[in-house]
Amino acid sequence: MPTQEQVQDALREVIDPAFGKDIVSLGLVQALKIADGRVALDLQIVRSSADANNNLKQQVERALKGVAGVEAVEVRLTPHARSAGTGSGQGELPGVANVIPIASGKGGVGKSTVSANLAVALAQTGARVGLLDADVYGPSIPMIMGATEAPQRGGRGIMPVICHGVKIISTGFFTKPDQAVVWRGPMLSKMLTDLARQVEWGELDYLLVDLPPGTGDVQLTLCQQVALTGAVIVTTPQPVAAAIAEKSIIMFEQLKTPILGIIENMAYFESRKTGERELIFGAGGAATLAHKWKTPLLAQIPLATTVRETSDGGTPIVLADPDAPAAKAFVEAAAKLVVEVAMKNANAEKPVEINF
Amino acid sequence: MPKPIRINRHGAHDIAIEWDNGQTVAYPARFVRLNCPCAQCEDEVTGKRIVQDSMLPILTYPTKIEHVGRYAIQIFWSDSHSTGLFTWEKLWELADKIDDWKGSIKLPKHSLQ
Ligand SMILES: Nc1ncnc2c1ncn2[C@@H]1O[C@H](COP(=O)(O)OP(=O)(O)OP(=O)(O)O)[C@@H](O)[C@H]1O
Ligand SMILES: [Mg+2]
Ligand SMILES: [Zn+2]
Repeated sequence: MPTQEQVQDALREVIDPAFGKDIVSLGLVQALKIADGRVALDLQIVRSSADANNNLKQQVERALKGVAGVEAVEVRLTPHARSAGTGSGQGELPGVANVIPIASGKGGVGKSTVSANLAVALAQTGARVGLLDADVYGPSIPMIMGATEAPQRGGRGIMPVICHGVKIISTGFFTKPDQAVVWRGPMLSKMLTDLARQVEWGELDYLLVDLPPGTGDVQLTLCQQVALTGAVIVTTPQPVAAAIAEKSIIMFEQLKTPILGIIENMAYFESRKTGERELIFGAGGAATLAHKWKTPLLAQIPLATTVRETSDGGTPIVLADPDAPAAKAFVEAAAKLVVEVAMKNANAEKPVEINF
Repeated sequence: MPKPIRINRHGAHDIAIEWDNGQTVAYPARFVRLNCPCAQCEDEVTGKRIVQDSMLPILTYPTKIEHVGRYAIQIFWSDSHSTGLFTWEKLWELADKIDDWKGSIKLPKHSLQ
């Protein structure tokens, strides 16, 4: 019978070309079982391309069959993510494997646009995705995702509205315009956490949370009360924006929430005629930040009129114009995010055991 | 900084924390209660301790310990106090102060007479 080590070693020979790393280090191997000469595992897919996924699957099968003593191999492709589980269940939303806040220091950098496109790109891989619009001051997810109906009451709580395969809940569904302004910090914070818990999310691989900009009470409370896998920071290339984004990073550091990566939005403008890239907002802000905080730069999203137009129209660009450079950049960011989450959860420290 | 692996009961009421650097530290319950970092027990501005030994019942011990995210525990005390969050940092820092505290314990006056 092949040993665990032999099998692991063989799997480490399979490199995902898009990441230049082996599938074990990337955290993509799940539920590995070795019984007699049979090896079975689930291989987590990070992109929707069937060709690329099947290619990787075949490589895994070949690698395993090369191990002495292996007689049968069963590789299943799965779009589902490992859970970040705290072990104790404390702060977890039942059924939700990973809660990922999308944060920015400054307003208007494209946090909602990024959240919506990431959510859609993740859902395209077959993952079960939710999107919580927690921006009480300016909820825009219903518009970007084209939500037309209000959420219904379910058996135990609120049923999310499903748009483009993503389960959506927005504070905008429940507040009248201007109402948020009247509410004060603690009330808002409580409402949000309650809301997150009252939604019947069902089984989710990822719940993205579009946070309000900044590092106020609302952000802090939500992040303290809900167990998070890690945060994504959105910024624009200006050094000033990056400096403010850094405040968000520091907030998450203090909450011991890992940063999964940085997305630089409106990174450049590509001339349609010449294909030349114009750096309207300067360059390097996000890369410097990523380097300083040892976190990946998940993507650089170009500035493009179609990004705004598709959002305004209720169909994010990832769906509306999948061949556009911005759409491809969002898909790339989603794939990298999947890997960051997979790596993190695969290596997750065991939760502290309390016997008291 | 090491991280805790396991938090166990030590003796009747004390707390034993097993750290991932191989060390196990036994924290006297009263010592931990006296070092509660919440706003009622510590002046947020000056950092001065507010809770004093004399304010606590003779027997003060944890009744329950719970996780707070991945970075802290919340201890529910027999004196009904539970507002303090003990982060891993705080607990690790406290490990070094246990011996001093034990050395400083004075026997109640009546027992000296
Ligand atoms: N890459 C892009 N190219 C062109 N327009 C964009 C891009 N990203 C976002 N926008 C547009 O910029 C505006 C602000 O984006 P968005 O609402 O996503 O930002 P935000 O950070 O969520 O803002 P707020 O702080 O108000 O919540 C929107 O009109 C949006 O369509
Ligand atoms: Mg927004
Ligand atoms: Zn206290």
